[in-house]
Amino acid sequence: MSADTKLRLAGVGKRFALKDKAEAVAVQDFSLDIRQGEFLVIVGPSGCGKTTCLRMAAGLEFPGTGIVRVGGKTVTGPGPDRSVVFQQFALFPWKTVAQNIDFGLRSIGIPAAERARRIAHYIELMNLQGYESAFPHQLSGGMQQRVAIARSYVLDPAVLLMDEPFGALDAQTRTVMQEELIKLSRVNPRTVLFITHAVEEAVYLADRVVVMTRRPGRIKEIVDVGSVRRAENWDRHDRVEEVMDQASFVHLRTRIWRLLREQQAEHEH
Amino acid sequence: MRGLAGAGVYFRTMAVFAVVWWLLSMWKSNTALLPSPVAVVGAIWELAVDLELFKHAAISLARMIGSLALAIALAVPLGILMGLSRIADDLVDPLVEILRPISGIAWIPLALFMFGIGNALPVFIMTYAAFFPIVLGTISGVRGVDRRLVDAARTMGVPSRTIVTTVIMPAAAPALLVAIRLGVASAWTAVVAAELIGAPSGLGYAIEWYRELLMTPQVMAFIAMIGVLGFLFDASLRWLSRRLTPWAPQAVSR
Amino acid sequence: MSAAAPGRMLRSVAVPLLLIAIWYAWTTAHPTVRTPTPPKVVNAAIEMIASGDLPYGVLQSLGRVFGGFAVAALIGVPLGLAMGTVRAVERNVDPLVESFRPIAAIAILPLAILWLGTGTSAAVMIVAYAAFFPIVVNTVAGVKRVDATLLRAAATMGIDRLTVMRTVIVPGALPSIGVGLRIALGVAWTAIIAAELAVGAKAGGGGSGGVGQMMFVFYAYSIELNRIVVCMIAVGVVAFLLDRVLRVVLRRLMPWTH
Repeated sequence: MSADTKLRLAGVGKRFALKDKAEAVAVQDFSLDIRQGEFLVIVGPSGCGKTTCLRMAAGLEFPGTGIVRVGGKTVTGPGPDRSVVFQQFALFPWKTVAQNIDFGLRSIGIPAAERARRIAHYIELMNLQGYESAFPHQLSGGMQQRVAIARSYVLDPAVLLMDEPFGALDAQTRTVMQEELIKLSRVNPRTVLFITHAVEEAVYLADRVVVMTRRPGRIKEIVDVGSVRRAENWDRHDRVEEVMDQASFVHLRTRIWRLLREQQAEHEH
Repeated sequence: MRGLAGAGVYFRTMAVFAVVWWLLSMWKSNTALLPSPVAVVGAIWELAVDLELFKHAAISLARMIGSLALAIALAVPLGILMGLSRIADDLVDPLVEILRPISGIAWIPLALFMFGIGNALPVFIMTYAAFFPIVLGTISGVRGVDRRLVDAARTMGVPSRTIVTTVIMPAAAPALLVAIRLGVASAWTAVVAAELIGAPSGLGYAIEWYRELLMTPQVMAFIAMIGVLGFLFDASLRWLSRRLTPWAPQAVSR
Repeated sequence: MSAAAPGRMLRSVAVPLLLIAIWYAWTTAHPTVRTPTPPKVVNAAIEMIASGDLPYGVLQSLGRVFGGFAVAALIGVPLGLAMGTVRAVERNVDPLVESFRPIAAIAILPLAILWLGTGTSAAVMIVAYAAFFPIVVNTVAGVKRVDATLLRAAATMGIDRLTVMRTVIVPGALPSIGVGLRIALGVAWTAIIAAELAVGAKAGGGGSGGVGQMMFVFYAYSIELNRIVVCMIAVGVVAFLLDRVLRVVLRRLMPWTH
């Protein structure tokens, strides 16, 4: 394994038992190497197993076949080095914003002064000033997801795993969050595995896009977006809509759409 | 504003009720059979002044609190265990399901043999009555905890043994408080039967005492006290729920 | 999965069987005249069933339960529907309902005895009072849970209030009403046992019959603990069966619920 690979899924497969004793193959022979500092997005139709892959990377589930390795070590369970941001935020409702962000830091035994410093840093970074003592139910969806992202980032994880994090947000909030995530990842570069079914979101955020097939999930194709982004200098545009207006963006998006549509056609025959 | 208007409607309805009652009592004009509201208010006043009303109320209330504490101490830990462990649930649930249909009140004759007339009997019956709603509600509350919260805690490195106290219990707290309110309602129903038959004091006993003397205004005074205390206890628990679990949707659960 | 099934069945009878075994062992080691033991209880049960005493008592109690339950349902469901649909009715009636709800039926028993004597009518009154509250409360909740969009759709179609009630509100509220009826039946059964016990205690050995009264007689007069235990078991069994039967009936009436 090259020194550069942060997260490796090698020949990973997973089966699920169904009600009538049958088995469904969720993922089959899935192999992926994610490089240090890379923002990798997995795109696929519903039920294709992309969430299962993320959960195996997190250690919340174990592969039936194959191995998951992070930083060279085999994954045997969940941990703060593979922090997860969930679609439904999963904030602790009985804790304030600050306490939520603090929770993980306490568990790994960071001293109080350092915790306070990190929390303050991320509150500012995620534009949560003034909401430190608010409870999740008092916040909008977008704010809650900001807290969830802060909560994960603050642990300084080796890999950040994001499971359709903006899926529960309305369209406008979603675009704002995408922009913020890009800004955050420039300021605080990290290895990210991001799951979504929204193609535009994938192209906007990713260095590489992995297109998955329908169940049983396999990799159909890996599309290199990063080189196009750098070549066309998408980063000079501040706004999502300006980037999405670029011809190069539209081509990539259409290409990935076609890949997904092919499978739909296959499925319907 | 709504509180004030609500109180207004409340008093208006009760006033109508009182008037209808008064007319009926005038028609019947037999204090032993149907005393007028005035007679009942008079009885309440007398009993309050010589503190007898409060003495019995305090005794019943003390038994309620003691039983509740005992029931919570038994039912909550058991409920958490049964909610989390399939094996514990498989073992204990049959016993719970067999005993549950046998109401606390059906235990009174046997309990009279075990405890005799006194304090122990009402407390036993009430603890038994409160136990079942609390244990079942706790199990359901623990099972209903959002799995993602547990996942989130695990991905943050919280060890499995700590997850029960740091995640599951706070998350299940709102459901637990609802279960406790149901337990109180169940026990407060049992208190009257238990005291009526098996205790030398308390509101149930007082009701029966005055009935035998055919002093119906006093009987009604104590019945009213039962209603007031029952309402206050539940209202206190609802207030406590709002303070302890402000994030939970405070359903007007009945 | 199928390997676990016999294990689970074993676990489900383990604790009750263990407790009965302990009970048996203890009473065999420390025998006294009065203490109930499993074999004596079984004998008592056989006797009581064969002589017809137990079935008769159960039927007496059940008769009162159904009587009171019917009264409570016939008053409670229409009242609940009215309260749920007409704001004014709810506002004016609710204070009365909420004021009396914390007062257990058994507390009203002395009044019932005063007014109706120690016979069946007092028992039916107590049962009706006890069953009334869960029925009303759940009916109101059921009506309120009916999808507001359905009601608005009906209104825009110009359907009159009564037909809306019949075709939209009642079917929509039925699941909740069903829950209320089930709770009420359980409460009614508990109330009749309590009432019969209390009447038995206060009216002396005579009185009105029924399982509760039998239990009291076995306590105070013939001092037959084994028979008390048989009655307790009967109370539990009947409660369980009542709930199951009602559940089946409700499922037949409302096949669209689980």
